[in-house]
Amino acid sequence: MKKLLAVTLGILTAIGGFVDIGDLVTNALVGARFGMRLGLVVLVGVIGICLYAEMCGRVVAVAGRPVFDLIRERLGRRTGLLTLIASFLVTLLTLIAEIGGVALALELASGVQYLLWVPLAAFAVWLVIWRVKFSRLETVFGLMGLLLIVFAVALWKLGPDWGQLMHQATNPRPIGHETWATYGYYAIALFGAAMTPYEVFFFSSGGVEEKWGREDLITARANVFVGFPLGGLLSLAIMGCAAVLYLPVGIQVDTLAQVTLPAAVALGKLGLAIVLIGVFAATFGAALETALSCGYTIGQYYGWQWGKFVRPRQASRFHLVMIICLALSILVLLTAVDPVKVTEYSVVFAAMALPLTYLPILIVANDPDYMGENRNGPVTNVLGLVYLGLLLVASIAAIPLMIITKGGQ
Amino acid sequence: MSGRVLHAQLHLRDRQLIDQRNGRLLGKVDDVELDLEADPPVVTALITGEQRIPARLIAEIDTAVKISNEGLDLDHWDDWFERHIIDKIPGAGDKAD
Repeated sequence: MKKLLAVTLGILTAIGGFVDIGDLVTNALVGARFGMRLGLVVLVGVIGICLYAEMCGRVVAVAGRPVFDLIRERLGRRTGLLTLIASFLVTLLTLIAEIGGVALALELASGVQYLLWVPLAAFAVWLVIWRVKFSRLETVFGLMGLLLIVFAVALWKLGPDWGQLMHQATNPRPIGHETWATYGYYAIALFGAAMTPYEVFFFSSGGVEEKWGREDLITARANVFVGFPLGGLLSLAIMGCAAVLYLPVGIQVDTLAQVTLPAAVALGKLGLAIVLIGVFAATFGAALETALSCGYTIGQYYGWQWGKFVRPRQASRFHLVMIICLALSILVLLTAVDPVKVTEYSVVFAAMALPLTYLPILIVANDPDYMGENRNGPVTNVLGLVYLGLLLVASIAAIPLMIITKGGQ
Repeated sequence: MSGRVLHAQLHLRDRQLIDQRNGRLLGKVDDVELDLEADPPVVTALITGEQRIPARLIAEIDTAVKISNEGLDLDHWDDWFERHIIDKIPGAGDKAD
């Protein structure tokens, strides 16, 4: 059991990348419009994040340094600052969306308008960060988020034509009136979400919070190879449900209620109850992940005392950053901006942040001074370079595609 | 002074400063002060923010730089925010820590 609980950091991290509020809607939207024809992108994303998160975990276990330490050290003060600004803005925008997501999940469950839930949701996130131990937080929200497996059960219960879903998955191209531009736009959105920078910030900082040492190399790997594939699986299950239920009748998905409907259709009230708790846990978990990552990135760039392994008063600036970010989230959401739309804008900053985040990881994972005999092997390096290329292409194409397709319309 | 050969850009600049005594994180090495008269040039101090850390306080240079935090004021801002904001919120931790 203890071994099982040791992988919850990976699971919670993956939830932020694959099934946070933006992804829940994007996965279902993509399933409704393209069937499983973009499923391959999720697979490519899972491999990419596994590759780089494994490197981060190894660097933490061997050298004890989290990702933003590496970014500052290898890119220097100026380029490091640029990376900080871009990745901080992605993370903050996502945090805003997640607080909105928690409120939307509460609205679905209670019928009370989500704006009323916003301050409460933000306060609850702060309270957990302020008081709850890191390992507890990771276990509770990691495991609760796993309730989203209900989408996989729902897909199976819907009794789809598996051959047809497979056929879609192995024919990765747009259909009907969809263009290559919209296909490419959503491919980048899915790939970018799978490799979103705050995953490695949170994962590596979490490793430091858990005080990983050399003896934890296996734990670090287990977290990576259990957590991220699970996240990818949930993502594909949501896409599959929408492909079965919405694609044949041509329904467009743009609300959280539509995302959760397949579970209700397949499994009735119980299914709906489970999916609502799952969505709440996943968005709350992603809110914790992004709020903490806001503190981690700034703290690590400036070298401040950060982390939940010390008391709040010993890491005062770290906690202050998170309080300010959560207060900002409330203010932005109370303007009644659509929380789901907010994540779409974060693509712009993600485009800048992605290559600059992953390059220093690859460099340091090869540095014999840091890594000794645990440095990258040739296969990891070739794959790492291929993915760096993919990230670069994605980051260059993201903004033009967003403009051409008017945000995927 | 020990005679370890260092690449100032690679081994010192932008590294994390850690208090050797208690592991507290104390900032980043923003710049390095060198004595170029000496042959070979030697590191005389590390600069972080407005503070100058004389080389004699450097205890260990690894993936981070450990120093002995004596006569330095590296906790200034962390203490300031602690006193004026964080400490006023219930549950911020014991004063004794």
